Amino acid sequence: MGSKIVTFVLGGREVEVMVKPMTTLQAVLRYQLGYTAVKEGCRQGGCGSCTVLVEGEPVLACLLPAEDVAGQQVTTLESITPVDGLDPLQQAFLDASGFQCGYCTPGMIMVSKALLEHNPRPTREEILDALAGNICRCTGYEPIVAAVEGAAQAGAAPGAQRR
Amino acid sequence: MSPAMNVVGRSVPRSDGIGHVTGRTQFTTDRSFPGLLHLKIVRSPLHHARILGVDLSEAERVPGFVRALTHADVPHNVYTILGLIGVEPEEEFVLAEDRVRYKGEPIVAIVAESEDAALEAVARVKLDLEELPAVFEVEEALRPGAPIVTHWGNNTFMYEGHPCRRVRFGDVEAAFARADHIVEGVYNTKPIEQAPTETTACIAVPEANGRYTVYTNTQAVYFSLDNTAIILQVPGNKLHFVGGTVGGGFGGKVDVIVEPLATLAAMKTSRPVRYAFSRSEEMQVSSTRSAWRIYMKDGVMADGRIIARKVTSYADSGAYSRQTPYALTKHAANAAGPYAIPNVSIDAYCVYTNRQPSSAMRGFGITMASFAIEVQMDKIAEVVGLDPWSIHFINAYRDGDMKPHRKLVEDATLIETMQAAAGLVGHELPARFRAMTSARRPEGGV
Amino acid sequence: MTVGEYLVPRSLPEAIDLLERHGPELLVMAGGTLTMPLINEGIAMPDRVMSLRHAGLGGIERRGDVLGIGATTTLTQLLAEEGVPLLREAARNMASWPIRNMATVGGNLFTPSPGGDVAVALLALDAQVRLAGPRGTRVVPLADFHTGFMTNALAADELLVEISVPTTVRQTAFIKFGRKHANTPAVVTVAVALERRDGQISAARIALGAAGPHPIRVAGAEAAIVGSALEAGVIEQAAAAAVRECRPLTDALATEWYRRRMVGVFVRRALELIVEQHRARVAESA
Repeated sequence: MGSKIVTFVLGGREVEVMVKPMTTLQAVLRYQLGYTAVKEGCRQGGCGSCTVLVEGEPVLACLLPAEDVAGQQVTTLESITPVDGLDPLQQAFLDASGFQCGYCTPGMIMVSKALLEHNPRPTREEILDALAGNICRCTGYEPIVAAVEGAAQAGAAPGAQRR
Repeated sequence: MSPAMNVVGRSVPRSDGIGHVTGRTQFTTDRSFPGLLHLKIVRSPLHHARILGVDLSEAERVPGFVRALTHADVPHNVYTILGLIGVEPEEEFVLAEDRVRYKGEPIVAIVAESEDAALEAVARVKLDLEELPAVFEVEEALRPGAPIVTHWGNNTFMYEGHPCRRVRFGDVEAAFARADHIVEGVYNTKPIEQAPTETTACIAVPEANGRYTVYTNTQAVYFSLDNTAIILQVPGNKLHFVGGTVGGGFGGKVDVIVEPLATLAAMKTSRPVRYAFSRSEEMQVSSTRSAWRIYMKDGVMADGRIIARKVTSYADSGAYSRQTPYALTKHAANAAGPYAIPNVSIDAYCVYTNRQPSSAMRGFGITMASFAIEVQMDKIAEVVGLDPWSIHFINAYRDGDMKPHRKLVEDATLIETMQAAAGLVGHELPARFRAMTSARRPEGGV
Repeated sequence: MTVGEYLVPRSLPEAIDLLERHGPELLVMAGGTLTMPLINEGIAMPDRVMSLRHAGLGGIERRGDVLGIGATTTLTQLLAEEGVPLLREAARNMASWPIRNMATVGGNLFTPSPGGDVAVALLALDAQVRLAGPRGTRVVPLADFHTGFMTNALAADELLVEISVPTTVRQTAFIKFGRKHANTPAVVTVAVALERRDGQISAARIALGAAGPHPIRVAGAEAAIVGSALEAGVIEQAAAAAVRECRPLTDALATEWYRRRMVGVFVRRALELIVEQHRARVAESA
């Protein structure tokens, strides 16, 4: 049925997957590679819970055919979690209780990760703008914004650490 | 000496926190099983119709099609979620038989090797439906000649032989006659979808010991297990439900919708079966908060005392009652609000229409009553010429007051809460409200 | 749902060739933000889909006083382009960061109302669209591109390849009014571009989104302000004309009744914004 082999770099590691035409990056990551931190809230681009980074930029894995990322760098929450302990941004979410049910959390952290890479000291307005596509139904967002602010203050982004 | 406090007053790390921030928390559809099958539903495209025929022949030819389930495959096809606590009659069809009562009602379940194949087979099922007149509005549903939604009676749920849940306390009509003012209001609310970020889902897995393990994101794991056992006519010990990790619920995941069919499909195929709602199904088919219409009439004295309240409420249950009868009972118990009103009459109707069924959502039954009551309180303040704070303090209930549904008020804190709220917003209360407490009124006092 | 073939051409000629070969049944996709939800839900079940993501149609090119915007330029790229403030404003108000990284300027012209805010801004700027097919390319004013709800002037064997706008229009305003502050389709979108000579408005373009089957201009409202100095009374007349001329739709976000009223409010506010900006500019240069 016209399956193709697609190769891309996932969390620094080259992966090769056989994909059917137009299989989304979300389905490949979740169901072929077991990267289930990539969540599946709507598959319509409406909730942000499947946000991953492609070449460092946040995109929605549910709207992206896996073939389109051939040869590119893909980063998921699994990729940024250290072997021991937590990434400072993850720690900030934990400290601020930037979650309740946890379903939106991977997407929130991935967008925040990209934001802090681009802009290590974002204003509150910039944080709100970056998170605008990520839906949380539990928290009312305040602890999530507080987590990103906390991470920025703690210098969670590599750019900030270099200062 | 009090024992050391380990939790109260301390910030305790959440046991699931690390899992959430690393994405390692395993939600239902994060689990994978070899040979997993996918279940998708053929749903009614019409609000109300007679089913004349279902043609599966083209669907069966879709590559990856495994089997279809119809009502004939369901051992106990007609059930009621609250049957577990004695609510009658059994009324909801797991899969529709001769009639569909709402747009989106399940008719056939398709089990296939992949989700794509299941969706394609669903699209190829041919339905022969005869459209019937439908009703979408509570008071229209109660008019003579309205289309009847239920298969067992009229368009109201029956409470011990009555078409509504009733509360009678004192003599409302006599109190209206002597009241200085009559204040009336009509309050309408829309249905609200709980919209959890994770959609409703389960995976049923046949085990070597003859049991079925069902991984589910239900909010009510034993409700789901027991209803599944009833629907499938198997002893409860054949079912092992694994729940607890729920990606948002807000009442939207207390209905027993996906587990019975997924488990039945696992029984019929001897393979793990996943049944997960799409976002559209979550929004358009899963239960919502009911739409409500509340008529409220209060008799009020010139000094601000509410001496009588009459409430007639209608909750739109949709095509099946699910948890809504219970919402009306809670509503009837709370429609007088946290106020001492000596004469109260409440009629609360659970009404069937051809809309998607409604069910639980955060404070259901009470949230809408509170909305109506508090708008009504402001109206009363306006009519009597007092500020809203005064109306609330004058009417606030106290310990020892009898509520209209015959529950004695205990541990009341409304007055103290309002005093604290006034402090926080910088509102200066008159001395008599500052001195007020929720303590039991003196004998014979008001 | 089961797509038979996914074509990812690496150049425009290859894309045109594939379109010619497979005919109008071929579903053409740019950023995927409109198409993928339909495929994921099983609403669209195309046999073949062609992605333009790698066809070399992205990027912005300055040609004198004209900005050439490749059809698959993302909204994030548009947001970074400082040459035309009105387009930045439109991009800034669109969707969310991840969506802006995927959604394209060209795709925005195919977005059914009430979506397509960038298209509204482009219409106010009097953009031209370049269409390419096996017989060559042609340029069409954007004003003539949309022909109805989800219909357009594109021939079955043509692709939209570029949108061009002038960089010289300076008196502009953009307001998107939604039910939420961000990441939401519009209740109504207003884009205004004016030219001023000797203190008077010499040319006016007022474009509306969510106020018709596709982005529309309101000629009566435009005529009301040409020749004026945007006095308060004139602004009221223009807003009233826009209310009369618009053809809003009813959907889950807003009713026709409400949208019509909001057209009046936001046309007025957009024109007031221009008056304010003009005053500030005059004060600055004085």
